[in-house]
Amino acid sequence: MRIFQISLGNLTRRKARSLLLLLSLIIGVSSSVFLYTTTSAMEEDVANKLDQYGSNLLILPKTGETLSFGGVTVRTSPGEELDIAMVEQMRTIKNNETLAAISPKLLAEGQIENKSVLLVGVRFPEELRLKKWWNTEGLAKREIPQASELVVGSEAARVLNLGLGQEVSIKGENFTVKGIIQPTGSSEDDQAIFMDLETLQRLEQKSTAISLIEAAVLCYDCPIEDVTMQLSEKLPGAKVTPLQAALVSRDDTVKRFSLLGSVVGIILLATSGFVVAMSMSAAVKERTRDIGVLRAMGFRKKHILSIFLYEVGMISFFGGVLGYALGMGLAMNFGDNLAQMELQIPFQPDLAGYSLIAAVGISLLASLYPAWKAIKLDPVEALRYF
Amino acid sequence: MALIHVNNVSKLYQSGDGAVQVLKNINLEIFQGQFLALLGPSGSGKSTLLSVLSGLNPPTEGKVVIDDIDIYALTEERRADFRHEYVGFVFQQYQLLPYLTALENVMLPLAIAKAPKRQKQDMAQRVLEKVGLGSKAHRLPNQLSGGEQNRVAIARAIVNEPVILFADEPTGSLDSKTAQEILELFQALNEAGQTIIMVTHNLENLAYVSHAVQIRDGIISEAPRRVQGGVL
Repeated sequence: MRIFQISLGNLTRRKARSLLLLLSLIIGVSSSVFLYTTTSAMEEDVANKLDQYGSNLLILPKTGETLSFGGVTVRTSPGEELDIAMVEQMRTIKNNETLAAISPKLLAEGQIENKSVLLVGVRFPEELRLKKWWNTEGLAKREIPQASELVVGSEAARVLNLGLGQEVSIKGENFTVKGIIQPTGSSEDDQAIFMDLETLQRLEQKSTAISLIEAAVLCYDCPIEDVTMQLSEKLPGAKVTPLQAALVSRDDTVKRFSLLGSVVGIILLATSGFVVAMSMSAAVKERTRDIGVLRAMGFRKKHILSIFLYEVGMISFFGGVLGYALGMGLAMNFGDNLAQMELQIPFQPDLAGYSLIAAVGISLLASLYPAWKAIKLDPVEALRYF
Repeated sequence: MALIHVNNVSKLYQSGDGAVQVLKNINLEIFQGQFLALLGPSGSGKSTLLSVLSGLNPPTEGKVVIDDIDIYALTEERRADFRHEYVGFVFQQYQLLPYLTALENVMLPLAIAKAPKRQKQDMAQRVLEKVGLGSKAHRLPNQLSGGEQNRVAIARAIVNEPVILFADEPTGSLDSKTAQEILELFQALNEAGQTIIMVTHNLENLAYVSHAVQIRDGIISEAPRRVQGGVL
């Protein structure tokens, strides 16, 4: 017989109380593990998607007259445009692997049925890779429009009364409306007409000119400032502008997910701690007489303290292990369903240690006051307790 | 030379109506090997005296010296060590821990002793056999009769071979036949040299003790007297 066997005896023979305590810890730990792993995966997924979707950089001429494009002012005067050769120069920077998509654009003003429209010449493969959020009616997945085909923004299609397959004359040349972009909430996408870059260059008689370059920097933690600096060095005649708003928005989203997960996890663990504290208080009250008997036998206060702390330690150890296993299992199997996202949640063995530390630490902390009350009991009073 | 010296011990309890003096200037000497009955009606202070003698309940005044140790001059934790070494208790309601088996209950005082587990288990098993419960070692208290629970409580009290065995109305809730068996067990222990101090209000129990002392209203008026033929 050792002191921990007294604790073990109590735990194994008071099954209902032990199971209730174990269950509360399992729920607390598993929920926290589930929330942490799922929100971490969501954070990464959101970050990846934002990286994929977001054009993080705009490359513009340094000076000149302006035309608004997505809230950014761009140069349109002849002789002040960028050169298409800059695209290849961009691929020579040190962090070139982070440039997921480079989409050069030529902006021009056109007339359709006497209405002024914004024409955007693009390389469709690059543009479609950059604009993954486009939902384009009439354009199949991975389908690339031809040089004689147009992709029209929703607002432009409405104003010009354009429909799929309709023939349109631009600068004396006929084009077919291949796709209509569903409303995106972005004025440059909704109000513009997108066409083949080389075709627009030919119509504008600007064979190598482009107005701007959009680039997506594909990494969550990459140093955007470094990439900006490297591009500025390579392109001395251009102004490289990181789209800070997109970055701030991305960070904000990520932080919100993280904060939500952390707050809910802490609340659940604190609730488990509260249940442990209540259960231990009840146990001390229920076993007042036992404490008196043990004190009468010569048990010191530290022995009484050990009995309660061993109990909590054993329960919280198993609560931590089982809670971790359950939370990890749920996250790996059902995390994506509950988050309504395509998530890859990997097995994270390092979380087992943190789960144990959290479960045992919180439980011991919650037991300190009840255990202190137990050791302060007067043995004579305790023996009178019936 | 007396084993226990009680010098001018008084005990006051504070209650809602003021202070109640439960023990009044008690002086007493108890010798090694005595089986002493503390006799008295309910509320006379005999259980309080037992708790004071056993080192559980500090007196308001006076001192208790056992084996030359002034037990209330010790710190609370050293007094706990003293109880572990010198004192065995048999409580009125047995006070067995319901979630431990008979053997585990008997092993309780050994839980804080430094001895191999096997040795502790053998000691407990031997004592259980001594009280006639060797075959019921692995039963829980609620699987034992009142008399059997009392025997387990006695086994637990003597397992670490205490100098003094204290018993508070050990037969109070037993039928007469079982009570007789328990008292015979105490008598056998005393004949083997165990000093026993037993609180009782039942004069029939005097048949088993060697000495007795009366306590009334917290006062002991004379020294313990030898009991002969069950008569004080």
